[in-house]
Amino acid sequence: MARSRREEHLPHGLLHAFLLATVAVTLYPVLWVVTIALSGRQSLALADLPADPGTFDRLRAILPWPSRWSWDNFRAVLSDQPFATWLLNSALVAIATTVVGVALSCTAAYAFSRFKFPGRRAGMMSFLVSQMFPGTLTLIPLYIIIVQWLGLGSTRLGLIIVYATTSIPFSVWMLKGYFDTIPRELEEAAIMEGAGPGVIFWRIVLPLAKPAIAITALFSFMTAWNEFIQAATFMDKEEMYTAPVGLRFFVGGFQQQWGYFAAGSIIVSIPVVALFFYLQKYLVSGLTAGSVKG
Amino acid sequence: MPAPSHRRRFAAGLALALAVSVGGSALLLRAARSQLGEEAEVRRGIVSLLALGELAARAGGKGEPLRQAVAGWQAAQAPGVTARVVLFQGVSLEASTAPQDAGDRAAPRRLAREEKAAYDRAQRLRGAVQGNREGGASKAELEIERLPGGGRSLAAPLFLEGQVAGMIEVATPAPAPPAPPGPWAALLAFALPLLAFLPLAGALGERRPLLAAAAAALLAAGSVGHGWGALGDLGGARRQAHAEVGAHAQGQGAAAARFLAAAGLAAEPPLRPGAWDADLQRAPRAFLTESGAPDGARVEADVASARGDARGTLLAAFVVGLGALALVGLGGLARAGRALVVHRQAYAYVAPAIAGTLILVFFPFLYGIALSFTDQNIYNTSTPLSELWVGLRNYSTILGDFGLARRAADGTLAWNYLNFYWTFLFTVIWTATNVACGVSFGLLLALALDTKHLALRPVYRVLLIVPWAMPNYITALIWKGMFHRQFGVVNQALAIFGVEPISWFDSPLTSFLTAFATNAWLSFPFMMVVSLGALQSIPADIYEAARVDGASRWQQFRAITLPSLKPALIPAVILSVVWTFNMFNIIYLVTAGAPNGATEILVTQAYKFAFERYRYGYAAAYATIIFGILLVYGTIQNRVTRATEAL
Repeated sequence: MARSRREEHLPHGLLHAFLLATVAVTLYPVLWVVTIALSGRQSLALADLPADPGTFDRLRAILPWPSRWSWDNFRAVLSDQPFATWLLNSALVAIATTVVGVALSCTAAYAFSRFKFPGRRAGMMSFLVSQMFPGTLTLIPLYIIIVQWLGLGSTRLGLIIVYATTSIPFSVWMLKGYFDTIPRELEEAAIMEGAGPGVIFWRIVLPLAKPAIAITALFSFMTAWNEFIQAATFMDKEEMYTAPVGLRFFVGGFQQQWGYFAAGSIIVSIPVVALFFYLQKYLVSGLTAGSVKG
Repeated sequence: MPAPSHRRRFAAGLALALAVSVGGSALLLRAARSQLGEEAEVRRGIVSLLALGELAARAGGKGEPLRQAVAGWQAAQAPGVTARVVLFQGVSLEASTAPQDAGDRAAPRRLAREEKAAYDRAQRLRGAVQGNREGGASKAELEIERLPGGGRSLAAPLFLEGQVAGMIEVATPAPAPPAPPGPWAALLAFALPLLAFLPLAGALGERRPLLAAAAAALLAAGSVGHGWGALGDLGGARRQAHAEVGAHAQGQGAAAARFLAAAGLAAEPPLRPGAWDADLQRAPRAFLTESGAPDGARVEADVASARGDARGTLLAAFVVGLGALALVGLGGLARAGRALVVHRQAYAYVAPAIAGTLILVFFPFLYGIALSFTDQNIYNTSTPLSELWVGLRNYSTILGDFGLARRAADGTLAWNYLNFYWTFLFTVIWTATNVACGVSFGLLLALALDTKHLALRPVYRVLLIVPWAMPNYITALIWKGMFHRQFGVVNQALAIFGVEPISWFDSPLTSFLTAFATNAWLSFPFMMVVSLGALQSIPADIYEAARVDGASRWQQFRAITLPSLKPALIPAVILSVVWTFNMFNIIYLVTAGAPNGATEILVTQAYKFAFERYRYGYAAAYATIIFGILLVYGTIQNRVTRATEAL
């Protein structure tokens, strides 16, 4: 039977018009940033208006097309401004967070998945509940612990410790879910061969769980790379800012360096946007499977 | 494995508990006594210092009269106490009794280059005095430093006609270490109950409740007995310290008066030795009367408050001891130890993660809750929380304030945007409008993209999720720029239609619209992707069947599409409600609460109370309330989803 060609649908032309309009609105802010970044100027305005602007001039002013192409903003933001330092801070913090967080989560998730021990349920439940703690409530005590007690204010180590530990509960839940799906028979066979628990964990379970570990690692990385509030609170010294705090520095308060901001934004966004598109098929299931996150 | 006898367990538990309770309190009291001794030492030093300051000022503050005053003062000091006077004028060491200033370095002389630290110190003190006079934060007008040999160097500004003309330094030798309280009381309080328990346990036999009661009673007896003695000891030591300082002040006063009379200097206004017992702001501590005799009522009040503090510490030590007794006596420790050994591998695997989250997730949470019962702010962060305890006051201030609006002088209604209920209402509106908009728009786009054989479908899909991929703080700052009054593209675009530039952040409604536009742009892709996934999983033949039965498109949508979307959409909506409720970055970066905090949501308001108004306790209470709201929401949502799943 041939598929009915008379499926009652809206005319495709109308759909295309709607979708194109939406795409235009969606992409406009992105194009706006790209235009400012490539205009070589610090101004917010896309074009200078003459004293008595006509309709054409006004259209020109909202069209995301620079009047002059230039890489100056990119060059300046990376060399004249401390932005490269900030990027380096962000990268170091995000990478260290990922390594530490994933290492701790893997072992814990494996134990939660494979061993029966007193406190197992309580541990998992407390990890779940901790996802509901409001960030603003823990921010003040964290500030006191990190800055006043440990003296780690304005250090990368302080941020790494905070990011890595706060990412543990979510990572443990994700990884435990995956470990649960790895058949136990494999491990039992290894035990028959005389392998110890350490060998099983390192040689059998971890290699099998590579996809889940990769996703967890990427989540940790993206969270640390994009985090703004804690970094803004703990990092007082300008040279220790992370990229998000630094970008705000360009356009917050009395500074109005929109060109630097735009160029910096693009540099910061490219890795995460790329990662995001690479990961997007996991995002929905991963997120909706999680619970109330506050 | 034979069960170890209850008797033996309780005996071990009692020993541990007594060690914790009695030993702990003995250590704490010992620390308190040595601190008391140091404090008295410092107070005596300050009395001598200020006595010299008074004499130096009356002697005219320079030249030979000053040196005579210093010599007169020196005669009344304990061995090893020396003084130096530094004047700004001529950068001179005007008088000194210090051993290093003998021979060719004897005062008066210019300060040497390597003595710059002394000059800097004088400058610091002058700065502090001037700062305090101008009403700045109160800085210390006295400096106390430890010297390498264990003594102290105290410094005070020298006043001449109301101006700081220099500095007086007094060095005191290391005090003889106070005799530590003998360990016998503590040992006795430890051993006696234990010795009493052994025959008692023999008589009671293997009956757990009786053994537990006996052990607890003996622990209490030992702790109370030891604590009683220790508190009395501490009170006595404190009284004695006040008496010593008083005697020293009276002695210094008498010596100063004798010197004034002998040197023929002005004896009016009368000396006030009691005021020489001052704190670092040079304000009298008020434990002494003006003549320097201890003020009985104040001393007793001080002793009582010190004993109150110590009693709290002793009680805490006792409670910890009781916990230890219960843990060991009832076999908890043995069981925990066995579990730890049997499952050592599992615990080794989870230990780092658990330890990390305990310290940096759970402890901050509990600390935050504790903070919410205090009025901690930026000025008293070093004060222990127990002294800032205000009970539920923060909560009653936040939740009990219904003053949403008040009449201004000209009769217009002025909203109080700092009111909790305003912010809560705004947060609810913000969440509801954003989620409604996100769901409907996302669903609409998903339906459009789900059309079969539509050209360029994958391209649209990828382009439409770009906003989700961008870091949201960047998005927020971009939109803030686009809403700029003069240069923002939004106003430029409106100008094409002849609309005057709008100051977006000057009124609550337009300010809300900017944040709303930002968040709508940011959040529809999530809903779109979720809906699209669900739509594509609906088998096509259901629609076929419905068409065969003659269902209209609307009927198909109502009867097939929506119900099949529900399992995917409900969790997504729940999640997006929580996200939007907590959408800190958008509000904080786009509107920043403008105008006047009208567009704050709860989380940004809590942040501002903490980090812009520095009211940590209040902000913690605010955040705890937010947690409560989320908890209630989570519970209700759980019930509702379960109910809908049951349908």
